[in-house]
Amino acid sequence: MRGRFYRIIRDLHLYFGLFISPFVLVFAISVFFLVHSWLPRIASETSTTRVVSALPLPQDLTTRSGRPLINGLRPALEKADVPGEVGFVRHLIKEQKLIIPVTIPGRETTVTINIPTREATIVTRETGLADALVTLHKSPGQHGANIRMNWFYMRAWRWMADATVYLILFISVSGIYLWYVLRAERSLGFILLFAGALSFFGMAYALVH
Amino acid sequence: MPSSTEPTGPGKSPNVPRFQARFERWNRKLHFYVGLFLLFFIWLFAFSGLLLNHPTWTFAEFWTHREETNYERDITVPSADVTGDLAQAHDILKQLKIEGEIMWTTTRTDPNQFDFQVRRPGHFFFIKADLAQKRVTVRRAEVNPWGVIKALHSFTGVQMDDPRNSRDWALTSLWAFSMDAVAAGLIFMVLSSLYMWFELPQKRLPGAIVLGLGSLICGLFCVGLRWLF
Repeated sequence: MRGRFYRIIRDLHLYFGLFISPFVLVFAISVFFLVHSWLPRIASETSTTRVVSALPLPQDLTTRSGRPLINGLRPALEKADVPGEVGFVRHLIKEQKLIIPVTIPGRETTVTINIPTREATIVTRETGLADALVTLHKSPGQHGANIRMNWFYMRAWRWMADATVYLILFISVSGIYLWYVLRAERSLGFILLFAGALSFFGMAYALVH
Repeated sequence: MPSSTEPTGPGKSPNVPRFQARFERWNRKLHFYVGLFLLFFIWLFAFSGLLLNHPTWTFAEFWTHREETNYERDITVPSADVTGDLAQAHDILKQLKIEGEIMWTTTRTDPNQFDFQVRRPGHFFFIKADLAQKRVTVRRAEVNPWGVIKALHSFTGVQMDDPRNSRDWALTSLWAFSMDAVAAGLIFMVLSSLYMWFELPQKRLPGAIVLGLGSLICGLFCVGLRWLF
């Protein structure tokens, strides 16, 4: 019975670990970019500009804000062929313009809509893989909860990011069990566990107090 | 099916299997040694990542529950040889006995007015120094442990889109180094686990399916979305 339990835990540790390993790599590699505020430019950024007219805009566009505004802009963005996650929309009242940032990991599009003429200038920047990893690491993030995850694929990413956390927690707990079963490794394991705990709590204490 | 202890053929060095066996043993040992050492760091970053992904979870709300205190202090204006905003801010903080990472959030227009923030996990200091009046107003905000946990996740002292802010507190640098170490440790653990899995012939096919599925889904988000749309 105990041997069966061990084998099940060992297999789950292996298969769950293999499944989330690409996600762990995404989060781990992007840490270096975020901590050092640096993005490697593997390929040069490209930028294109185009103009789209006769956009379908809702009548009450200027009175909307937050999620209703984004929902109201969706048909216009679809017509302009700009898919992606819509960020904070800026309304320039004097100029009667809306500036809409739209993101796909690795691509940033800025749509500037002239409200009276219903015309949009669309600037698309291909920002590359490193920027895509950073975008994914920071998504959905803690800000703008009422507007974020307005594109299906970014909602799906949130599910995957959550799943990565839950599986990491499972893998770490199952890993402790698998290590503890190895009697010969217990003493050194405990020393490392204690050293890690001391480093972690020592640093956290110094930062907070 | 060759095992790791079988000779690999006459053309290869007899040391290879021994080396390979030793490599496998140490790869396995290091996999859980690194995991055990980084355990609390991994739990912190995983759990805080979950909290940051769910800002609507009210139990982890911290900013609305903050405790604020306001006070004023007289200061000595930094001497003429203390040049630059950072050096002046350090001088003022030393007088106020405040330690932390300096954040530049406003542009200095009046040379006598000097506003900046100081942060450390759990503590926010909003400092307004009037150098002409030799007086500093400090607004101090303290947040609950949820705020500390969330702050530790992203306490790097730098911002991708703001080159003005750079690390200026030794403990921020130490914490940033530990973030690098955790990331490097995780990458090592992933690579070592791939090696261990590949050395199990009976698990190769199901493992390859699971790894392929994970890579496909992850690849969709990293590069696939740009191809599809």
